[in-house]
Amino acid sequence: MNQTGKTMISIQGISKHYGDFKALEHVDLEIEKGEFVVLLGASGCGKSTLLNLVTGFDRPTGGRIVVNGREVNKVDPHCGMVFQQYALFPWLTVIDNVAFGLKMKGIAKAERLEVAQRYIEMVGLRGFEQKFPSALSGGMRQRVSIARVLANDPDVILLDEPFAALDAMTRQVLQDELLQIYEKSKKTIIFITHSIDEALLLSTRMLIMSARPGRVVMDIHNDLPLPRNAEVQLSPRYNELKSQIWGTVQSEVMRSLQASSH
Amino acid sequence: MIAKPPSRAALLGTSAASVVLFLVVWEACCRAGLVDPIFLPPPSAVLAKALQMMGEGTLLGNVLASARRVMMGFLAATAIAIPLGIMLGTSTYARAAFDPILSFLRPLPSMSWIPLSLLWFGITETQKYSIVFMGTFAPALVYVIEATRNIDPLLIRAAQNLGASRWQVMKEVILPGSLAQILSGLKVILGLAWTCVISAELVAAREGLGFLIMNGKEFFQTEVVVLGMVLISITVLLTDFVFRLIENRVLRWQR
Repeated sequence: MNQTGKTMISIQGISKHYGDFKALEHVDLEIEKGEFVVLLGASGCGKSTLLNLVTGFDRPTGGRIVVNGREVNKVDPHCGMVFQQYALFPWLTVIDNVAFGLKMKGIAKAERLEVAQRYIEMVGLRGFEQKFPSALSGGMRQRVSIARVLANDPDVILLDEPFAALDAMTRQVLQDELLQIYEKSKKTIIFITHSIDEALLLSTRMLIMSARPGRVVMDIHNDLPLPRNAEVQLSPRYNELKSQIWGTVQSEVMRSLQASSH
Repeated sequence: MIAKPPSRAALLGTSAASVVLFLVVWEACCRAGLVDPIFLPPPSAVLAKALQMMGEGTLLGNVLASARRVMMGFLAATAIAIPLGIMLGTSTYARAAFDPILSFLRPLPSMSWIPLSLLWFGITETQKYSIVFMGTFAPALVYVIEATRNIDPLLIRAAQNLGASRWQVMKEVILPGSLAQILSGLKVILGLAWTCVISAELVAAREGLGFLIMNGKEFFQTEVVVLGMVLISITVLLTDFVFRLIENRVLRWQR
């Protein structure tokens, strides 16, 4: 619903090899501004490798990536990353964690605290500004981590299995919140998961990846209506999409299991 | 039945009783003539000497002289070791360049620098500072390098991703992230600094706790020797206590 037809991320013939191992092989991908793309696939299919190339943490073996008109050749703060293990700075309070990116940009203290405060409230953490991360639950830490990326106002938000370490209840709450943030902020999002349900609930577009070599095998437009909540899982269209995806994922998993047993 | 854990008061009482018992036995041995006071004076004589010197104003001066030397040398060593260590801990090339020098300096005891330092600086304050510096710099540097290597690389990535430059990563992530380990290393180094200053003062000095001990020995004033030793112990314990307070303040987030 947020798409504008403008290309935000252009992945052009990307390969990443580790010796003989082909983590990614000739991946071509165009992601439009405002899309919520979920990368879906079993472990080892190169999902995280792709994300690390988009952020600039890793260099590709071949090909190029262009984000918002700029070719990625170093770690780029325009692609904000939310890590599965939160990666909060334990010596900083919640508000200082959220304001970290603004501090790096040299923004004055009063202004950056004001911005940080706004995003802390957006993720529902009012009253926790002066707490250290060690005093927070996993779900709250991941909220801080999301607020920290939002406060930095990136073009793209990347989330690498952000809710995988959380319990089922907390995960559902955070999924709903992320959807609301997406609808409000109109950011372009790439989200990694291996849960089909999570993919269907969140995405506007799903890319299914397979391993050996890592590549995109299926590109599905998720036409489930927005705004969504957990109830969407009861609709017939949901189950139709789910069985379609499951068919592909299942055959890919079987293939990789057979390949690894030889 | 499970025994109740002893209370804090009971444990403190036991410790206090142990100290009193030790002093009483020591005093009794001296009074009974089991030990010649030339070799070991009774605690009462040491106390009397302490009070006498305090009255003359010579006691505190010696303590402060040593403490000042420790602080100057220690602060100079850490002021260089912390930034240099963070640099060496993060740059493999700088590390490769500096490693041979560090490996050469590390095994040298501070005592071995005394002849050269006397030649260079004479019996001056600078010479004392330099001994403390040379004795503490290399180990402090090793502690800092070690501490920076235990930083979670994910935090460095997160910082870069939020726009931190190389310099900002060092200042905003590596320094605060390794501070806990650096401080616990520096606590050990501070003890080492005291060893350095006492050895320097034993060899050549006009004031200080090491000088007090050596001077006491020259004049067969054993109570002065013992008093000097007691004062070293007390001063080191005190600085350690102050250091702990600073540590608790700086590492608030760990509790």
